[in-house]
Amino acid sequence: MGENVQTIPGGAQPHKDRTLNRQVRTLRVKMVLLGSSGVGKSSLAVRFAKNEFRDTSPTVGCAFLTQVVHVSDASLRFEIWDTAGQEKYHSVTPLYYRGAHAALLVYDISKRETFIRAQLWLKELEKHYIPGSTVIFLIGNKGDLAWDRQVSVQEGQNLAHEKGLSFIETSALSGDQVNELLLDVGKIQNILKVPLDGSRHQTEYLTVNRINAHFSLMYWISGVKK
Amino acid sequence: MMSQRSERRGIHLDQSELLCKKGCGYYGNTAWQGLCSKCWREENQRERQKQIQEDWALAERLQREEEEAYASRHQRAQSQPTITPFSKFEERKTKEKSSKVNTVTKFFTPSAKTPPKKDTTSFDTQSSPSPSSSSSRHPPADTDHATREFIDFLKPLKSGREIFKQCRAFTESMVYKRDMGADELSECVQDFYQNLSDRLQTQFKGSTEHVESVMDEVEKYMMTRLYKEVFCPETTDDEKKDLAIQKRIRALHWVTIEMLCVPVDEEIPEVSDSVVKAITDVIEMDSKRVPKDKLACITRCSKHIFNAIKISKKEAASADDFLPTLIYIVLKANPPRLQSNIQYITRFCNPSRLMTGEDGYYFTNLCCAVAFIEKLDGQSLNLSPEEFELYMSGQASPHWPQGAGASSPGSAALSQVHKRLDLLTGLGERQDRVIEKARQLESDLIDWTDEVEQKVQSVLESFPQETHNPTATTASGTTSAAASAIDSDNVENERLPPPLQPQVFAG
Repeated sequence: MGENVQTIPGGAQPHKDRTLNRQVRTLRVKMVLLGSSGVGKSSLAVRFAKNEFRDTSPTVGCAFLTQVVHVSDASLRFEIWDTAGQEKYHSVTPLYYRGAHAALLVYDISKRETFIRAQLWLKELEKHYIPGSTVIFLIGNKGDLAWDRQVSVQEGQNLAHEKGLSFIETSALSGDQVNELLLDVGKIQNILKVPLDGSRHQTEYLTVNRINAHFSLMYWISGVKK
Repeated sequence: MMSQRSERRGIHLDQSELLCKKGCGYYGNTAWQGLCSKCWREENQRERQKQIQEDWALAERLQREEEEAYASRHQRAQSQPTITPFSKFEERKTKEKSSKVNTVTKFFTPSAKTPPKKDTTSFDTQSSPSPSSSSSRHPPADTDHATREFIDFLKPLKSGREIFKQCRAFTESMVYKRDMGADELSECVQDFYQNLSDRLQTQFKGSTEHVESVMDEVEKYMMTRLYKEVFCPETTDDEKKDLAIQKRIRALHWVTIEMLCVPVDEEIPEVSDSVVKAITDVIEMDSKRVPKDKLACITRCSKHIFNAIKISKKEAASADDFLPTLIYIVLKANPPRLQSNIQYITRFCNPSRLMTGEDGYYFTNLCCAVAFIEKLDGQSLNLSPEEFELYMSGQASPHWPQGAGASSPGSAALSQVHKRLDLLTGLGERQDRVIEKARQLESDLIDWTDEVEQKVQSVLESFPQETHNPTATTASGTTSAAASAIDSDNVENERLPPPLQPQVFAG
């Protein structure tokens, strides 16, 4: 599978030839996309896919996506796991978020029922995730449909605040609102650097800590926009 | 009665041949070398214990020999740089691959003095005086091949020998744990993976790709050798679950593409081709031994599914399309030993590969599909509970709905079939009744003859002997006398000339 190698502007130099550098570690960051059908999980993923596959692997859909980002001496390998949003598959989805670093809980701001369903997903998630190992993001998608808004920003923020989630409103299609809510890339890099260096000799996968996953994700969303 | 008949037909079996050879009085079985189950277990246990002890002795001896060999080799190799620069790693690997066959011997031969025979035995633990009691159940060629490949892979690594030794020792120690539960076995293996990968991590200074490639080979080697022991072990109910899901899928044969909302159009030849390939791949999973290979089958199957959806919908498939299609494929394929395979992969695959990565994603989807099939009800297929029940019991089919009325030829045929089935069951019942009556009649007849006999007996007994006899003689005397009174007692009769024959004279 083709991997889009991105670097952080103004930051560390990318490793052009990774085989030359024996120090490269790959940290896997697993993110699960949750939400009802039609809230735009797939379009978030499609956007990602457009960056990622340069039409090299036409058989692969946009259910599983990866992107590799190099940061100082490590590579972050983002994995997006899309899940089936239909209600009838709700009971089997806990299998997906085993070992996930981040769960992206998506709802459609123009459809109230998707917000209500998002709260059901959240309840389910809370039963299974280990606090501190999974970061939950509440994402109000379709910001471009603000004129048809059924869920206010305040409601989203309140829910996120109450449950201790990170909250963003995005528009996977236009992308404008995404930008406003993003942290400055340089700032992300600074913070990102610390835990990565600190965890140098630890074993990969699950030890990526909370803050790490959090800011990596912020970075990813900024990447989606571009 | 049966045995007598079969004897007559030509299968001559002496009763004594059927009995346990130990003479315990129970019947023996040829599968247990003519012993009964109890004796066989005792005998087998003893033999196994003996073999295990022999195995250990042999393994220890080989280990010692190897260590000596390694020490002497290490002294010679001291001058060579021990750390291979990573950049040259690829190059070196390909170089060594070309001369694979020779280097197997070269690498592990400490000096020219060592006889080559020892070499093959020291690294091929599956060879003749089999050190592992499991070897008899393994096709040796397969495991041999795995061992050889593993050695080839480890050769360029500076700690290759160390890794091999640990893996082999661990694999052999697993044989002793066969009575443990599957979860404990899984824990043992997972601990081993974890420890080894931790150590490799420090050794390779955090190069994850490198550690993973070694771990892949370790897993491949170990699981090829342990497959028979740990796949669907008797200590679990995996087999029962296999049968349950198989039966369930069979009962769901009527589920259509429309019910599952599967976005594929099998009318398009290319799509149906992909569907067939996906089915083949998911079935093929059972034939692989290594968890990674099994996962590869699932991934291939998934790619075919994506292809099918993409052609049907003319856009890239999302998870909303993928999962229903995978469920449909699983229903169509009814893959053999589905639960066993899933359990095996979950227990013995490197956990990081299941929770992350592409293979992990598709495997998770397969697990979801199976979980969904197990829980499937009418609601999830947009059917009423009654309809679902009807279809499940086979009384109706979505292709020929019962409620469609007699106008439909399908339902007419179906109702006819039902009518005939009813007739047949009626006939069966009547036959049963007839047979029962006949039996009753038979026993009645037997009772009746008994009864008559008894009556005669009682009548005979009720008359005293002495009064009976004279009356009998007098009675017979009078009657026979009456019949042959004329000449029966006439002794002179024989002396008389034959009676004159009437003669006809002409005239």
